[in-house]
Amino acid sequence: MAGILVWIETANGEVRKASREAAGVGARLAEKLKVPLAAVVCGADAAAAPKAGRLGFSKVFAAAGEGFRAYSSEAYCAAVAEAGNRLGADFYIVSATALGRDLAARLAARLGAALATDVTEIQWDSPALTVVRPVYSSKLLAVTELCAPVKVVSLRPNVFPAAPERDLAAEVVAITPEDGRIRAQVLKAIQAAQGVMDVTEAEVIVSGGRGVGGPEGFKLIEDLARTLRGAVGASRAAVDAGWIPYKHQVGQTGKVVSPVLYIACGISGAIQHFAGMGSSKFIIAINKDKDAPIMEKADFAMVADLFKVVPILKEELAKALKK
Amino acid sequence: MDIAVILRQVPDTEAAVKPDPARPGAILETDIKFILNPYDEYAVEEALRITQKLGGSAVGFCVGPERSEAALRTALAMGLERAVWVCEPAAWQADLVTQGRILAAAIKGGGFAPSLILCGREMIDTQEDAMAAAVAQALDIPHVLGAAKIELSGDKAVVSREVEGATLEIEATLPAAVSCSKGLNEPRYPTLIAIKRSKNKEIKKATLAELGVAPGPSQSKVLALKSPPPRAKGVRAEGEPAEVTAQGMDWLANTAKVI
Repeated sequence: MAGILVWIETANGEVRKASREAAGVGARLAEKLKVPLAAVVCGADAAAAPKAGRLGFSKVFAAAGEGFRAYSSEAYCAAVAEAGNRLGADFYIVSATALGRDLAARLAARLGAALATDVTEIQWDSPALTVVRPVYSSKLLAVTELCAPVKVVSLRPNVFPAAPERDLAAEVVAITPEDGRIRAQVLKAIQAAQGVMDVTEAEVIVSGGRGVGGPEGFKLIEDLARTLRGAVGASRAAVDAGWIPYKHQVGQTGKVVSPVLYIACGISGAIQHFAGMGSSKFIIAINKDKDAPIMEKADFAMVADLFKVVPILKEELAKALKK
Repeated sequence: MDIAVILRQVPDTEAAVKPDPARPGAILETDIKFILNPYDEYAVEEALRITQKLGGSAVGFCVGPERSEAALRTALAMGLERAVWVCEPAAWQADLVTQGRILAAAIKGGGFAPSLILCGREMIDTQEDAMAAAVAQALDIPHVLGAAKIELSGDKAVVSREVEGATLEIEATLPAAVSCSKGLNEPRYPTLIAIKRSKNKEIKKATLAELGVAPGPSQSKVLALKSPPPRAKGVRAEGEPAEVTAQGMDWLANTAKVI
């Protein structure tokens, strides 16, 4: 390996948590293989570059300007490729956020690289780089060797430890990619309401299914999620019934999540749902049906009426968290 | 407006997949029901709606093994005009980026010049979501992943997609490649008559030699498929709500140690 480049994604000028995880993996790999390491940031200005540096980079490439204010596959890809070229990178790491996946896809195609998305393990002991990633609705894991000279990986958020912040002053190198054509441009970003967290980034998710009974039932789910400072998830059944928007759906046809704690309320736990949340660290299931599949898979299964248990749980948690 | 739709056959989502001991990296295919990739249905539906409204052809393109024909027939029964299929092992065994190059060559070949290339948001077998970008890069056109809405006007498409914490409205210059997510439309079920008629629709096999694509050495290789580590057996609480909750709180504090 000749050099490792990590794309640091920012949101409102701050480094995304998932990018701190990518930085951690990059730093450990660079140390182990004794190869150069750098980060690349893109934005309207280079203000995020020193913040990226504090995650363990002595060098940060910064592509700044109006063309980088909003994400675009082409301009960001050109910037990352330019930074990679300057560093002599042959290994590119991003986090598998929506935009990270987008960037990794275009970058790998542009560089003719080996691409591995949503990676949950990297094994760098063997001479070749081997990664593990979920396949077939997460029913299996594919141990995959990346053979091409240039490799691009996206890391599943919430799986790898985040890099600690250190008191480092990085060398910031301004870059201006030559072919920054933008033929797909963000016209508008409609931000989610304040305090509403996305399921893919949340450490705690409270999720509701058919057992929640209707849109009113989701108020209970939202209350509990708010108490735990978590996000609201949903099963396909609840989304298809129109009780909650699609962006909350966890599972095969929704989002894949890896929170520390997943609380499934009134969810039977079909294999397609498990595909989206099976890698959660802890799973609590609350269901009246003791034979529901989720009860077998949960770390803690409460055989109970969610309408009775959830309000009590919320009160108890609020008390416990206040202490 | 002509539209290319990228198609793939995958195991049914409910299928119990197991690694094939004889073929490292592959699954046992006996007793597995194969279907058209569920996300591809949104792409087919969108292509049909657009061509019904604006005119033009909606044509399927597939890289996949012999069994894939059933998935192509499903898409033809839904309403695609015809399909082009590359079924050489060197093609479907290649990595995603290479398959993207092959599909791009197949789309470009034969004088077809689509304004839109649609595919599913994710291929649910390999759980990869990069195909639209790979094809777009090979054709030197823009791409947008995970469309929840596509609006066309002139030589532009405005695509809505969800990212963490926001909905983006992205304007892409056509031709463009767009991957389709749930919420875009409600895919139709083919009628019996449509299924019957689809049997006479053309599926043209294209070879790598005809397309002028040499896959080259494999970029990546699946060495093995393994089962995820089993979750430890959980704890169960039954009884009065207050009691069950108390046990849950104790578990959260002392076993999971999250509070």
